[in-house]
Amino acid sequence: MSTTHDDAPLAAQVRHLEALLEERGWLAPGEIDERLDAFAAGGSPANGAAVVARAWVDPYFRARLLADGNAAIGELGFSMGGALQEQKLIVVANDADEHHVVVCTLCSCYPIALLGPSPSWYKSEAYRSRVVRDPRGVLRELGLELPASTRITVWDASAESRYLVLPRRPEGTDDLTEQELAALVTRKGLIGTAAV
Amino acid sequence: MPDRPDRFAPGDRVRTRIPDPPGHTRLPRYARGARGVIVSTAGHHPLADERARGLPSDPRAVHHVRFAARDLFGEGDHAVVVELWEDYLEPDPAGHPEPTEERNSR
Amino acid sequence: MSRINDVGGMVGFPPIVEEPDEPAFHADWEAHVVALNAAMIRRGVYNLDEFRDAIERIPPDQYLAASYYEKWLRAITTLLGEKGVATPGELAGA
Repeated sequence: MSTTHDDAPLAAQVRHLEALLEERGWLAPGEIDERLDAFAAGGSPANGAAVVARAWVDPYFRARLLADGNAAIGELGFSMGGALQEQKLIVVANDADEHHVVVCTLCSCYPIALLGPSPSWYKSEAYRSRVVRDPRGVLRELGLELPASTRITVWDASAESRYLVLPRRPEGTDDLTEQELAALVTRKGLIGTAAV
Repeated sequence: MPDRPDRFAPGDRVRTRIPDPPGHTRLPRYARGARGVIVSTAGHHPLADERARGLPSDPRAVHHVRFAARDLFGEGDHAVVVELWEDYLEPDPAGHPEPTEERNSR
Repeated sequence: MSRINDVGGMVGFPPIVEEPDEPAFHADWEAHVVALNAAMIRRGVYNLDEFRDAIERIPPDQYLAASYYEKWLRAITTLLGEKGVATPGELAGA
């Protein structure tokens, strides 16, 4: 979207609001900075990759992850808490027959607490409008050509849950360590717009 | 736990309502008046429509409802799962006979 | 009365554009907007659904023209005015 225009007036407006709210007592001094530090230490796609790699090497963890995402990621020290209340994490697993892809058609819901902010394309009207209607075409546009025999399920995050896709473990990775496996997992794979 | 009993359970065939509310809602336009099957229950939450108006709202069931793309758009071979408050749903005893749509994909 | 945010199934939007190595935020002010919003919600000035509602009330032409966090900033400003935290003039910095 319009990220190239001059955003100095927007930056000034944000500074103005913060000063006004602090002056009126609606913001504590330093409160914004604390939150910014929390973001920096918070969600990241690497967290999702670590979850996926563990599920690939440990079938019991995988089963727990699919049954109760929140509890399972807690085993790895992650949470869906974030800045506000904890959100339910639902993990959907790809297999040879079915591929899952996630969208929020109404806004931009995404497992931010685990993965950090979503990419701009995920929030774009272009992706949100089309992936529910023509997922095969959208995935092709994003570089993922699925066999015609693979069924596609699109998950619209329209309420309170947040979704994570568990990609299929690539062939020929038997010798890799858990850490090496995690390095194969991309943010797109966690959304379902890439194979891994 | 919720005060009100769940109106639907996994496997139930449902039809979404056709509201066109003036304010915030979580029933996407493309899924209004459509036939689907409940695949699982996603917990219990106050209705977003009411919270957005600043109204008190009791938790009630939210369901994962699976739709065949052709029932939403008239074409397509995929499925769409939408997470819907039970307020948006009504029973559909005359729903589709395909048992495949009852499968819980999780 | 469907709102402009409700785009699922619509046609006509441009191709999807990916940004290689996209950072979490493109400018500091975007992160500040997110932090400010979380602070207001935790303080109970408004709730998350009122915030979503305020984004959806942005007129369609402006909704489509604004960047993602620009929409957030507009919604926050709208709500601070409606909740009586400050007058529209004060919020605008007039």
